[in-house]
Amino acid sequence: MCCCQRMTQRKRLSNTQSSSQNKRQSMPLASQEEDDDLTFPQPSSSQVQRGLERFTPAQVDQKTAEVVQFFLVRDQKKIPVRRADLVKHVLKDYRNIYPEIMKRAARTFDQVFGLKIVEIDSKNHMYILVNKLETAEAPPIMNPTNPKTGLLFVVLSLIFMKGGAVRENLIWNTLKKLRVDAGEKHEEFGDVKKAITDEFVRQRYLEYVRIPHTEPVEFEFRWGQRAEVEVSKVKILEFMGELHDQDPQSWTQQFREAHSISGSSQTAPSSR
Amino acid sequence: MKRTRGGADEESPRQNGSAGRRKGSQQQGDGDDGGLAIGPPDLQDEDNDPGLRREIRSKYRDLINTVTQNREDMLSPSNNKLTEVLQEAVKLFKDVRQPREAALDAHLLVVATDLGNEKASQLFTEGTTFDPTAFSEHLLSFMGLNRLEDDEDEQQNGGAVDGYLPQDAWHRVARRAECCFRTAPSFHYMMGSFHAEPPPPKQRIERQRKAPSKEAKRIMPTQLKKMEDSHQEATEKEVERILGYLKSYYQDDPTSPISYYEFVIDPTSFSRTVENIFHMSFLIRDGLARMYLDNDKLPCIAPVEEGEVDAGGSYSRKQCIVSISPKIWKELIEAFDIRDTMIQPPNTQNE
Repeated sequence: MCCCQRMTQRKRLSNTQSSSQNKRQSMPLASQEEDDDLTFPQPSSSQVQRGLERFTPAQVDQKTAEVVQFFLVRDQKKIPVRRADLVKHVLKDYRNIYPEIMKRAARTFDQVFGLKIVEIDSKNHMYILVNKLETAEAPPIMNPTNPKTGLLFVVLSLIFMKGGAVRENLIWNTLKKLRVDAGEKHEEFGDVKKAITDEFVRQRYLEYVRIPHTEPVEFEFRWGQRAEVEVSKVKILEFMGELHDQDPQSWTQQFREAHSISGSSQTAPSSR
Repeated sequence: MKRTRGGADEESPRQNGSAGRRKGSQQQGDGDDGGLAIGPPDLQDEDNDPGLRREIRSKYRDLINTVTQNREDMLSPSNNKLTEVLQEAVKLFKDVRQPREAALDAHLLVVATDLGNEKASQLFTEGTTFDPTAFSEHLLSFMGLNRLEDDEDEQQNGGAVDGYLPQDAWHRVARRAECCFRTAPSFHYMMGSFHAEPPPPKQRIERQRKAPSKEAKRIMPTQLKKMEDSHQEATEKEVERILGYLKSYYQDDPTSPISYYEFVIDPTSFSRTVENIFHMSFLIRDGLARMYLDNDKLPCIAPVEEGEVDAGGSYSRKQCIVSISPKIWKELIEAFDIRDTMIQPPNTQNE
């Protein structure tokens, strides 16, 4: 009985700050209706106000800067940042004003770095940094390219063009045709299987899901939460068009998917 | 009963060689064999002919392998391979008598249905179907593959040494693909982490000290031309004066060392003492005087001879800091029993 009451109480609390949170972050995936992170109950807006009074503006700014730095360093490996880690390692005593700090950090990222904090997992509260700016058509030559981006691109395009999910064998076989054998060590990528099933998955570019009722066990690949936010399906389709010397519109379903509101990452097709 | 047991015995070596899960059905097989043994003799023989059973099972396995291993091939809309497999299966099924074969048939059905499902989804795709094989071909061209032959078949197995990819093949793809991503650029410290290095070598200090001595010599004549009264001028004058004292004392008795403290201390004025120390330091800096420790480890000073100046420049220079407080000053006066100052105060007081 009392457990029920507490849950409704918490629900009411989280509803009151849902409006402020929506202002704070623009995230297409987040649904803020229930905070089931029992270890860290979301502070209410009045709690935040009271919390702010306890600290000087300089202290709050300092904490904000620490959060920003934490994000930037974690982003080096492209592993998402968990809210629990933020609270434990950075915020500590400031946890009561967590929403305010996040709001300010997001503003800093926006205005100083041109980056966006996006919550890719509203259940487990995980965040990534995404570029707000469009990549230039021809990026400056002095930026070194990471060949793994090419590998990731191949996997993502295959999944997208095949409707959103592919069995892993399709990936391995196609890569083999591209002279990348997942079973052997590749001179550029090293352990290819690990890069794809482990690294890209941890970075949330891919999802590696078990297909039920398969014997022996088979897995399929889907786009990960980071890919949904970072990667432009429109641009992938454009590249496909170039490669196949076809009009991107000829892949009707994919074209529709890419230009739908959920599909596109808000990019307009470039004029080529 | 005897016949069935014989049949079971004959089958066992084959079963040892077959897949593991076959063993599980062995017991059921015996039971079923026992059941079928009740039928008419000639039908029994055909049903139990191990060679025939084996053949059927082997054909089923072949079909299953065809479907699972050439999946992309079977999926390709350009052929009817799947239909052919199913037709083969139908033919085979007529001869199926035992659960083992039926199990294989069921397995084949599952796999083929799965494939059929995918093929069907391809049908519903409006517009062009996406063919991964074609995609890989185009991508290889994009990467700059130098094809030696135009043989499609050979290029399907990746191990074929058929043309070679340039070194930067994947970099090309990455560069073109980058603009599809809106990745946040990763942040790295520009200067790297703190790197402790030993302090710069002493050589630099020597060079720096040489330069001022030259400049000092040049400055002095320039300032003499100017008739302005400046602090610097006053200092230079004072330094010269003290040098004069030092030289005269030294000439009086070259063998007797002049105690540093006795020279600089003015027992009547602490501030004068400090000034003397200050002016002495210029003489030493410029190499016009030198300080050394005598047998009692007390500092002594002596002027540097004309000819010694250049040679002095190549000596390793040392620095030291002299500090004095009124208390120490009094103690020194007592210790050295200084009654009179060796450096007379200047006539003009322009501090």
